[in-house]
Amino acid sequence: MPLRASGRFSNHRSGAGEGEFGEYLACLRHRSPMDRMSLTLERFEALAPDQASLAAARKLLKPSSWPTLAEGYGLVWGECQGSGATPYRVVVNEADGGYKCTCPSRKFPCKHALALMWMRVDKSAAFAPATVPDWVKDWLSRRRGTPTPASKAEDDAQPRSRPSIRLTEIPETVASADPKAEQRAAAARERNRLDREATVLAGLEDLDTWLSDQVQHGMANFVAQTAQACRTIAQRLVDAKASGLAGRLDALPTRLFTLPGPARPSAAIRELGQVHLISQAYRRASELPELLAADVRQAVGWSVSREALLNDSEALRVTARWRVFAVVSEAQPDRLRRVETWLWRESDADGMPQYAVLIDFVPISGAAAAGYLVGDQVDAELSFYRSTIPLRAQITTLKRGAEQSSEPLPLPNERLGVSYANYERALAQLPWLGTIPLSFRSASVRRSGEQLYLCDDETELALPLHTSETTTALPLASLDRIDGIGLWNGYELTLAWAETQLGRWLRS
Amino acid sequence: MNWTTLHTKVLPSLLGGTSRHPLPGELIRPSSPSSDGALEILSLMGQALRFERPSIPDSFIVEPEIKDDRKILAGGLRRPLVRLLATKSFTDHYARALARAFDRLRLRPHPFDLPLIDAFVRSYAEKLGPTAQHWADRQKPDAGTQSYFDPELLDGSNWAQATISRRVAYLEQRRRDDADAARALVESTWSQEEAESRFRLLQVFQTGLSMADEPFLSALEKDRAPRVRTLAAKFLARLGAGSNNPTLGACLERIKQGHSGLLRKHTILQLELPANVKDQAASRWILQTFTDVSFSELSGEFKITEKELIEAAVKDEPLLLALALIATNERRFDLLELVVANLPNAWERMFEAGLDTLGTMTESERQRWEEIIVRPYRKDLPMTYSLWDWLHRITDTPAPASVMSLVIHGKLLKKVPENERVVWFEVIPAMCPAPQRQEVREQLADFDQSLTVAPLALLDILNGMENDRTHV
Repeated sequence: MPLRASGRFSNHRSGAGEGEFGEYLACLRHRSPMDRMSLTLERFEALAPDQASLAAARKLLKPSSWPTLAEGYGLVWGECQGSGATPYRVVVNEADGGYKCTCPSRKFPCKHALALMWMRVDKSAAFAPATVPDWVKDWLSRRRGTPTPASKAEDDAQPRSRPSIRLTEIPETVASADPKAEQRAAAARERNRLDREATVLAGLEDLDTWLSDQVQHGMANFVAQTAQACRTIAQRLVDAKASGLAGRLDALPTRLFTLPGPARPSAAIRELGQVHLISQAYRRASELPELLAADVRQAVGWSVSREALLNDSEALRVTARWRVFAVVSEAQPDRLRRVETWLWRESDADGMPQYAVLIDFVPISGAAAAGYLVGDQVDAELSFYRSTIPLRAQITTLKRGAEQSSEPLPLPNERLGVSYANYERALAQLPWLGTIPLSFRSASVRRSGEQLYLCDDETELALPLHTSETTTALPLASLDRIDGIGLWNGYELTLAWAETQLGRWLRS
Repeated sequence: MNWTTLHTKVLPSLLGGTSRHPLPGELIRPSSPSSDGALEILSLMGQALRFERPSIPDSFIVEPEIKDDRKILAGGLRRPLVRLLATKSFTDHYARALARAFDRLRLRPHPFDLPLIDAFVRSYAEKLGPTAQHWADRQKPDAGTQSYFDPELLDGSNWAQATISRRVAYLEQRRRDDADAARALVESTWSQEEAESRFRLLQVFQTGLSMADEPFLSALEKDRAPRVRTLAAKFLARLGAGSNNPTLGACLERIKQGHSGLLRKHTILQLELPANVKDQAASRWILQTFTDVSFSELSGEFKITEKELIEAAVKDEPLLLALALIATNERRFDLLELVVANLPNAWERMFEAGLDTLGTMTESERQRWEEIIVRPYRKDLPMTYSLWDWLHRITDTPAPASVMSLVIHGKLLKKVPENERVVWFEVIPAMCPAPQRQEVREQLADFDQSLTVAPLALLDILNGMENDRTHV
């Protein structure tokens, strides 16, 4: 039976055969439990795309719906009798939460995969030990990143990638032994690059004209027609292959409308000012420091593939123990969901970034979580994308799978005012700096009308909390002093983690 | 160029448009010959605004100090509780059982969970402690002026500040202990009470009613609310200190008296329903008509004892229903038992009548009442869900052990129709008293897990609330 397009952890790997699969099973057999991301009720709940999916999965918990339920080699699989004649085939990898189902649902994971995980976590059904069937082998062999080492030692030596849907977008490269073909391909790539540079520069000229028009008409006028105005220029920038700037302008109306009315015109000045700054900096990239030039190119839309990052010997790499302190999910206009997993460095690494963000893009109907839960502790080596303020990273080597930890976060002994001053310094280095974590000690949450603020009494700083937290963070307003971390986007602080006298508060 | 210059000279131009408000020429520094410099000013202004710190509000709200001595639910139970309450359920029986447990065990939800279980908190705030009450009241306009304290700490000085149901419960207790002191409390705040509150507070006078209450009740004959006047008149009539209970006459008009027996005459009573009251509406009419009548008044009118009154009505089901309702209203369980012995379907008839409150009965009294009306069904429990649903709602207490034994040994859960299992699996576990949870759990284990996840979770949480030692 052909398997449907794979889920977000279902990465393809070409050429994997039966022999390799056998080695994979051997590897799984020898892998210590510590290597695995334990499948817990909380984790599978976080993977669920919505409450309705959980409710639908609950209805499938009847053993009678599952003619086959089996396990082996860290996998569980089963056949679920749906409305059709042929049962759906479902497999879940307990190690990383990867899953696969043959049903036509557009939700990821579907109710069948959720039900299988549920029964596994709940131990409510008997999974018979069995040999792995061919259809499971088929799925495993086609997953990108499925390790095929002959031994565990070899497996540990290789970078174990954190699965990402972005990997599925990268075309397979077929190794070619023909040097002339390679030269032709390199020449073609260079030609394409130059063509794109020219197209981008032409697009930036259009952008300047558009910006000048907005300045002439005034920001109050721009705010009134922002959606249409931004959509038009964003499309033109997409055509000009400046997808970074296009995305920034496409998201601008949403950003403005989350702010109070009176604040919108000045916010528009901030945002459009940054767009022009990026545009100008791109034209003068050769005059900029190397890291800032890299920032500019990324801001315009030149993405760096994961492979390129891993092959970049000069990329900043930090091996440490990290704690997931926030998972932020946001639906994008392109029908993808951007999932940001924010990590805080717990172990010492002097001079290295204190935090990092892993960014995944999943189908909009998929889970709002990226597989990691807030509170997970991860021992890993991260590779940071080149930047003046290193923030976005990829996991290159996972030393130990994610485990929930109840230990308090080792926050620096700094008040909110100090963190904010650090933010201002970072902003001076990278003028279009986006969201950045701010840690704080002895702050308080206060209310003015419906709006909540995180206040630092010493520095008389009061950062407005994100409007989505008006209710969820309200219980903190009755507490005296809290320590924690929030995500500051220049307008609002999204409180992510707080240690209080009543215990830990986490953004829900 | 400094911040002040930008703010005063540049910002107005950018906001209003440079076509109408040209930028000051002396500030423009074009970056290239082809540029007019406006975009450079835009970037500069934008960056300056990014460095502007957020403005601080003129004032912050001072959060009220809440004295909440209840322990916070153990950490291990927080997620299961939130998960259960977030699960779609068809009834509110789980929430009802949980709220009851919070109240009885003097526990409270973790303050951080209040936003996650907001609907539950708003529905059952009174049972969840002062912090939850404050949370539930936060959107009410006058919430800021209220005080929040544990109802366990109610006394004569603060009782008027609690919610009306708490006040009624407190007053009920005071009436039992010291009826005069309770009356004095009511008198002290009477003029500030709203009509609904006055009525509910006056209802409590049923407990410990004595001639000492007569002056106060007499003063209520001129109360603005007709319900209060009627209730006061009823109490006065019962004391023999006022005119006859106005509703008593309407009842007597409908009761036909006769006699039977050759050697010894027995009184026979029969309730004649109005011609326009059809069968379906009869029970409701009886409830409305006999609500404000007492056993002593009826027996006094017919010059027979209360027990003889029941015997006289033995052959008249509508009148027996009326007597069952009166006995319930007066918490006369001795008489209710006699009535139910002759009206075995009292449970169904009272449900049909639309009885929706057991007044100020204590938990043990409600359990006793439930035991009495369920007993006739011991050999054949009703399989109508709405009856059990009503029973749990009106008693709002765990079922007595004897009732739950009937449910368990009668294997009720196995008998319910398959398409109704979902709701049955909500009400029965919610009614189950602690000692019998294991038996209910064992019966649930026979069903598909898809049906039992939530009820088993409820039983686990209730067990945890009672036995966990890590509440803080």
